[in-house]
Amino acid sequence: MKAPAKEPALPSGGADEKLLVEAAQKDPARFTDLYEANFERVYAFVSRRLRTRADAEDVTAEVFQHALANLKNFEWRGVPFAAWLYRIAGNAIADRWQRAAREQGTAAADDPPDPHAGANPEEVERRAQLFRLVATLPGDQRRVVEMRFAEEKSIDEIARELKRSAGAIKQLQFRGIQALRERIDKSSVGRIPHKKAAGKLAKKLGGRNG
Amino acid sequence: MAKQRPSEQLDKIVSALLGRPDAPISRDGASRPFDPSVGSVIEIVRDLKNLPRADFKARLKANLERRASMATLAKAAPEFRASATPYLSVRGASAAIEFYKKAFGAEEVVRLMQPDGRIGHAEIDINGAKIYLADEFPEIGFRSPESLGGSPVQISLDVENVDAMAQRAIAAGATVVRPVANQFYGARSGQLRDPFGYTWAISTRTETLSAEEMQRRIDAMSKQESAAPPEKYMREGFHNITPYLILAGAAQWIEFVKQAFGAEEKFRVGRPGQENVIMHAEVKIGDSMIELADANPQFPAMPCTLLLRVSDPDGVYDRAVAAGATPMEPVSDKEYGSRGGTVVDAAGNRLHISKPVGPGNKIFADFRSVTPHLYATRPVDLMEFLKQAFGGEEIYRAQMPDGSIPHAQIRIGDSIVALAGGHGMYTAMPSTLHLYAPDTDATYERALAAGATSIQPPADQPYGERNAGVRDPFGNRWFIATRLRDVQP
Repeated sequence: MKAPAKEPALPSGGADEKLLVEAAQKDPARFTDLYEANFERVYAFVSRRLRTRADAEDVTAEVFQHALANLKNFEWRGVPFAAWLYRIAGNAIADRWQRAAREQGTAAADDPPDPHAGANPEEVERRAQLFRLVATLPGDQRRVVEMRFAEEKSIDEIARELKRSAGAIKQLQFRGIQALRERIDKSSVGRIPHKKAAGKLAKKLGGRNG
Repeated sequence: MAKQRPSEQLDKIVSALLGRPDAPISRDGASRPFDPSVGSVIEIVRDLKNLPRADFKARLKANLERRASMATLAKAAPEFRASATPYLSVRGASAAIEFYKKAFGAEEVVRLMQPDGRIGHAEIDINGAKIYLADEFPEIGFRSPESLGGSPVQISLDVENVDAMAQRAIAAGATVVRPVANQFYGARSGQLRDPFGYTWAISTRTETLSAEEMQRRIDAMSKQESAAPPEKYMREGFHNITPYLILAGAAQWIEFVKQAFGAEEKFRVGRPGQENVIMHAEVKIGDSMIELADANPQFPAMPCTLLLRVSDPDGVYDRAVAAGATPMEPVSDKEYGSRGGTVVDAAGNRLHISKPVGPGNKIFADFRSVTPHLYATRPVDLMEFLKQAFGGEEIYRAQMPDGSIPHAQIRIGDSIVALAGGHGMYTAMPSTLHLYAPDTDATYERALAAGATSIQPPADQPYGERNAGVRDPFGNRWFIATRLRDVQP
């Protein structure tokens, strides 16, 4: 028997968010509060739909700049603010795809992929939560995770920079990721079947060789 | 084979995922069973691949803060409202504030004092209308109407009840410039002058009119006015005072003023049988008439001084000289407010050619194209005579510490006579003037009473006027005339 469809796990868009939006509409300087609350979500949304980190950063910047400039047009109808940001992001990504297609002379411009496709709000929310949790790691683990993933450095580079052995860095990386797993499991958005997902991934990764 | 440490095993996965998104994990790594603790974090590793850079987040935040502050400025712009507020320079700002309180019910809002006791800035509020004022500071050119001789700017004050406000202001010491009356532009209004030299146009709206309707009313009124008869005792086109030149060579002079000043010959009567001798002629320069005749034994030549108001003194001066006039004083800027020069024409008339500049625009505001200019040895006495004999009104007097008068103006009816004490090359120069008066006989009597001597008692003339002639104690001749009926010249 199928479980009843769950409400999308977008942030609730409650009274607090409404206050933040209204404050920013009155005083654009207050927009940074909305930015802080939504940066990871937007980044999580766009980074999965674009190939490079540079593209993800560009589009994330576009989304917030557009949101700031058009904030007065945002009408509070109980829909989470993030949904509006996702719509802006979807348009920005579609523009980018179309531009890329034109530049490559392909016909894709006429039939661009749907930038909103697969935008499972729960998944986006979980990834955003993961990004936020990195900041809560103990200093060494956080540094290693950031350098390894965000700054895309090798174990040796990190070891040199932090003046530790490669083994120690790998150990910090391991502990950091373990800690993230535990924390995201505890957080409200982290309830996804890791084991199943991991198993699928392992099967996929290994299957090619079979 | 020794089991790999979990941290090593995980790093292999991380390296594989970071290296190429869809690359298979190496056979070596993937073929082994995952440590359970490793397997459960693969999903997390995959997501961490997209971990945003902390410094990107910080930079974007700074960028948005900058944009937000610009947006705040841009938003502030529409809230800016342009405003213009009268700023009155007053001799005695404190007294003025008290007056405005009494006269207009003003409220004092701000008063800032200078160390020397003068009010450096004050603000009053008249029923919501803002006015700034301060004491005059002549040292920085902030002068009051009293030190400038008036203000060309008037303050238009809309009030709820113009009659009540005017009464109140007059009771407080304002003087009436124009009594309160209904106006064509849909308001009831009047003009008052306050004791500090400012004119206030006070009005209450009575109708809401479009600009087109107002213009229509103006046009209708000006039609009426032009249809109305002129002052009955003057000939049409003439003013109260007209210079009358008695010259040797009147005909040549007419040619000269045509060339030099674009004069228009309006009328000429030659002596019967001697048509080149002019008994009477009239020329028009700009808006002004000049009458002239050839000299004869009864009336010998009597050139005079005329002040010609022009827009291009340099050009007109050159044209006058080219037409035969003799330069007397080249064109220059005069400190009292004009640019001009003087020539003497062939008939001996002194012609000041000038254009008002700066303060001169006020001093010479009512001058027509031609204004007679009397040079007299006793200018103050002459002014007194003009007041007594002809009801003249002194409207300007520049007097030097030694008592001499370099320039004065007497208004007689609708005309101005300029005068000065004779000085230097500008020697005294008696003139002949034609004066229209409502009652020639009465004016003749007054002139005699004021010290003039009779040239010719009042008498009706065949050309439809009653006239008389007197000589004033300073040698000037006055022909006094009252038009009786229209006669074709």
